[in-house]
Amino acid sequence: MSALSQIPSRASSPGTQASPAAASDGRAGHGGGPGGGRARAGRLPRPDFWSGAGLPGLAFVVAAFVVPMAVVVVKSLTDPSPENYAAIFTSSVYQRSVVDTLEMALTVTVLCLLIGYPYAYAMARSGAAMRTFLMVALMLAFWTSLLVRTYAWQIVLNDTGIVNTALRDWLGLTSAPIHMIRTPFAVYVGMVHVLLPYAVLALFAQLRSIDPDVERAARVMGARPWRVFARVTLPLSLPGAVAGGVLVFVLALGFYITPQLLGGARQVYVGQAIMQQIEQFLKPGVGAAMAVLLFLAVLAVLGLAARFVGLGRILGVGMGRRR
Amino acid sequence: MRAGLGVRLFACLVALLFVAPTLIVAATSVTSGSMVTFPPKGFSPRWFQEVLTDPEWLTALGNSVQVGLLAAVLAMAAGTSLAFAAARSRFLPPALVTGLAVLPMTVPLVVAGIGFYLVYVRVGLSGNALSLGIAHAVLGLPFVFVNVLAALTGVDRRVEEAARVSGATETVTLVRITLPLVAPAALVGGVLAFVSSWDEVVVALFLNTPRFRTLPVVMWSQVRSGVEPSISAVATLITLVSLLMAALVLVGPAVVKKVRRRT
Repeated sequence: MSALSQIPSRASSPGTQASPAAASDGRAGHGGGPGGGRARAGRLPRPDFWSGAGLPGLAFVVAAFVVPMAVVVVKSLTDPSPENYAAIFTSSVYQRSVVDTLEMALTVTVLCLLIGYPYAYAMARSGAAMRTFLMVALMLAFWTSLLVRTYAWQIVLNDTGIVNTALRDWLGLTSAPIHMIRTPFAVYVGMVHVLLPYAVLALFAQLRSIDPDVERAARVMGARPWRVFARVTLPLSLPGAVAGGVLVFVLALGFYITPQLLGGARQVYVGQAIMQQIEQFLKPGVGAAMAVLLFLAVLAVLGLAARFVGLGRILGVGMGRRR
Repeated sequence: MRAGLGVRLFACLVALLFVAPTLIVAATSVTSGSMVTFPPKGFSPRWFQEVLTDPEWLTALGNSVQVGLLAAVLAMAAGTSLAFAAARSRFLPPALVTGLAVLPMTVPLVVAGIGFYLVYVRVGLSGNALSLGIAHAVLGLPFVFVNVLAALTGVDRRVEEAARVSGATETVTLVRITLPLVAPAALVGGVLAFVSSWDEVVVALFLNTPRFRTLPVVMWSQVRSGVEPSISAVATLITLVSLLMAALVLVGPAVVKKVRRRT
């Protein structure tokens, strides 16, 4: 994960004042110290050699990714016309979907931070055995497929699932099953389970980076533990909360699999609405327009947050996993 | 400051909730009954036998492996290439290269899926391992990029200079010196790309055809009609492979280092 310290200065550089200097420093650094510029002119590979080495990668990303993304934008404007956007903005169904999605993503984000904070705190401030146990549990969940975990919650929350069986047969508390599946509740449970590791990892990284001496100093000065936490630890850990929260929020915005399996027909979140336009209504133009708006929303949130905590910190959290 | 008892108990409870669903799926896959029940009725490998002899699942498994390997190889090549440009090119702005390389991480899968669908189908690339492999390579490429970029900053340039001074061309230096130095990092990224392809559903749904479906796509279509022990068995197999790969990446490098130090 240390690799990601690379990204903030580079990826977020446009728009920040220090960037040109940082960027050129970064490159000059490879020249081998103060004499780098001179040395490069003589012995090192010419700069265009490395540009050439980067060409296959650039060509691949542009052809396989940038072009498709551009085609989505074109499609949204031409199939049949830019009216697609007007249709979205005036449709009460879509507005409802946006409101539901924002509500869901915010709820999931808040839940992830509330549950993730104590978890990360326990990981950061416990003995090695405890930390290992918590980390292994986290990693097991993190690396289990999203689809498998959603399926698992289906088994657990079904009308004939484990929770209902337990309530009825083992505890005798209920006579009829409680409907949990196909409700927003099931979606929240599934999504928090899937996204919680991102929040925990971001918070854990931040909590670990706090110098223990700062807290010790506060203690020595007579602050009670709770006050140390509220006035020292919590404020210092906020960048981690922002990074984790933003990542969870952004990922939740575009979720499809979990709401589709665990959610009901009443809430159609944006990810599902996009799929519907394409699969059921056969209106790829409208679907593309929705997709463009979703992507813009994601970029806007990421861009805004990057100004405060750096893009690398946000994207670096889930290195190796994405949804 | 040590975490209080209450906080630690809470964390342990959450830790159990983290792993419980996966364990439950695994338990329901070894039932000898024909329904998903918990606790399972008896113990039997019958559902694994059934899945591993069913041509539909087997074909899907083969497709998934093909797509994953292709995605990993392509992601390693493209990601490494981009990392070279980002770290060393004096011509291409590093912010641009890095932006392009991590952009796929920021795109919601639904959005990426539409793009791949619109373009790949148009150029006749759909319903085969190549199209989905390319799409997944794009999604996995940032992992390779970031890892190789980090490895590159740790490379001692004097080694490369020594090769150049000794008469090696730039290309030979790249192939014989630089690439071997960053290969382990690229491989780690490649494994990550494989795993992210291995259990990816959304883009795979866009690019699947009735004749070409990956394991998660078949699982998805079956899950939508209900839970079954055979699906649990497939889910367990998918999870085992993912976890094995994760262990390879997380624990592997440390083990290799230890072994090397000993010899």
